[in-house]
Amino acid sequence: MTGERTFQKFKRLISKKAFLLWLDSLKKDYKLIGPRYYRGNHAVFKEVDSSEELFMEYETTMLSPGKLFLYKPNDELFRFAMNGKITIDEIAPIAEKQVIVGVHPCDVNAILYLDRTFLGAFKDPHYEARRKNTLIISLNCTNVGDNCFCSSVGAGPFLHAAGGYDMLLTDFENEYLVEIKSREAEELFGLEGRGAGRDELRLKAEKEKAMQGKFRKTINVSGLDNIFVENMGHPVWQQTAEEKCLSCSNCVMVCPTCFCYDLRDEMSMDLKTVTRYRCFDACQDIRFAEVHGGNFRQRRAARLRQFVTHKLGQTNQYGVFGTVGCGRCITWCPTGIDLTEITKEIQKHEPA
Amino acid sequence: MNKLRLGFFKYSCCMGCSYFFAYVHKHVPEVLASFDFVFIKMLSRKGIPDGPFDIALVEGTITEAWQADELKIIRGQSKKLFAIGSCAVIGGIPAIKATAPELEVEKRVYKNLSSIHSIKPHAVDAYVKVDGYIRGCPPAERDLYEALTSVLTGRKPDFPQHSVCIECKLKGNLCVLIADNMPCMGPVTNAGCGALCPSMNRACYSCFGPMKQANGPALAKKFKAMGISRDDIIRKFTEFGADTIEFRKAVEMVYED
Repeated sequence: MTGERTFQKFKRLISKKAFLLWLDSLKKDYKLIGPRYYRGNHAVFKEVDSSEELFMEYETTMLSPGKLFLYKPNDELFRFAMNGKITIDEIAPIAEKQVIVGVHPCDVNAILYLDRTFLGAFKDPHYEARRKNTLIISLNCTNVGDNCFCSSVGAGPFLHAAGGYDMLLTDFENEYLVEIKSREAEELFGLEGRGAGRDELRLKAEKEKAMQGKFRKTINVSGLDNIFVENMGHPVWQQTAEEKCLSCSNCVMVCPTCFCYDLRDEMSMDLKTVTRYRCFDACQDIRFAEVHGGNFRQRRAARLRQFVTHKLGQTNQYGVFGTVGCGRCITWCPTGIDLTEITKEIQKHEPA
Repeated sequence: MNKLRLGFFKYSCCMGCSYFFAYVHKHVPEVLASFDFVFIKMLSRKGIPDGPFDIALVEGTITEAWQADELKIIRGQSKKLFAIGSCAVIGGIPAIKATAPELEVEKRVYKNLSSIHSIKPHAVDAYVKVDGYIRGCPPAERDLYEALTSVLTGRKPDFPQHSVCIECKLKGNLCVLIADNMPCMGPVTNAGCGALCPSMNRACYSCFGPMKQANGPALAKKFKAMGISRDDIIRKFTEFGADTIEFRKAVEMVYED
């Protein structure tokens, strides 16, 4: 599953119908997860009973698949009992085999970002077990949302990551251009289709170029690290925090790359067992930076700045941007705070 | 283990918190096993409101002078005192009358004012030090157990201080404020309920009151932009939190417009 080994790339054109039938055939070994129509013009990633329920033309979802099925909102880690002495009862990671289909490039990049956190220097057993048992089938975007800016940070609209996912689909009217990226997918995928030649690849490049031109939101990312460090006291932080920011943490919750978590203990009412579980934490929560004797980010402006700079300014953490340009934090902010607008406001005063 | 002495005191409220505490929640037998109910009006008329108490739970808003006096005595007799329910924590429904002059409110309800001695409604922590807040209307079950177990084990209780939005997103609900354009108070409301209303596709009405440092004015501005009328915005912010700084700021902003 990890992208350490390189494979000979297989590129085939498969009719959509045949591909969906193949997905159905996976159902006996895998849990099939994909975008489903919800209500209004919204879709959600959910387990589906058959490929007929899939809504592959979706634009975006509120919650990303990576933070629903790999890094879960709530994870029970262990229970301990205190009867004189402490006994620990660890909860083994549960990993069902699952296949997530229709993941857009931004969300694949977000999963690769989560990998850096949970499969980096310290491996998280729960995340690792799920990641190993998950097949990711990505789908290149066919339309650009109002708040998408992935082209500016190099995370879309077409996927170029070397590895870490299993298959890549590109929409070709009645067919999918299927590119196989992992050995597991190669073994599973039995469809012949017709081989993709130079013409098809040129058509794919043309499609990508056409998509690049559709973006309504862009951002200049050169030298952002330094610009943010130099503008810690810029008035835009205080102004946005006062007029708009509710510190409700919606941005953090919908962000596909936000990985901060909190460990909590819940004691049973008979005082015999304590369950320790992990759940998402949010840097907009006032208690996030609270330590003994004080709080690093008492002010709302400081918390807002923490979110924006972690997404756009701290590339020294993992060598890539913390944002994948999916625009979810803009879409789902109740007051419409836009991190690209904040960045532009700061860049205004910077000599180019 | 000796049972801890528990007192449950009621001021101006519907007594729903006592009812919830005595009958409704999931762990009534365990609570009865660990605590000695010295005084709780919901269960018995016989109890004596005299201390000392290991834990005192106080429900209701303070709306008369004698209540404040009694509360201070109870504080002196109790090791730990928790405010339970929205009325005691933030003022709740009785605090709606904080939006009008006291005499006006009295006149609207009573013909003869000679025996009425009401004062401005305030939460419990306006008069005495409080060791923790069990928020909600009815109170959050998890917070109630947290308070009780913290007293039993002698540790500091841990109550959530973040917004309802976090709980709502953890549940995977589609945001009703943005997707359905409903005036949801979730972004400024303290968590604890498990995002009950948004999970049922209803807008949150802030029965848990504002979270710490909530930005009421910014949300009021958003409601205004959504086309909610001035009166409705004021009602939303004064339904439970009329006596809180966070929501009063929002109401003041709407008045000034």
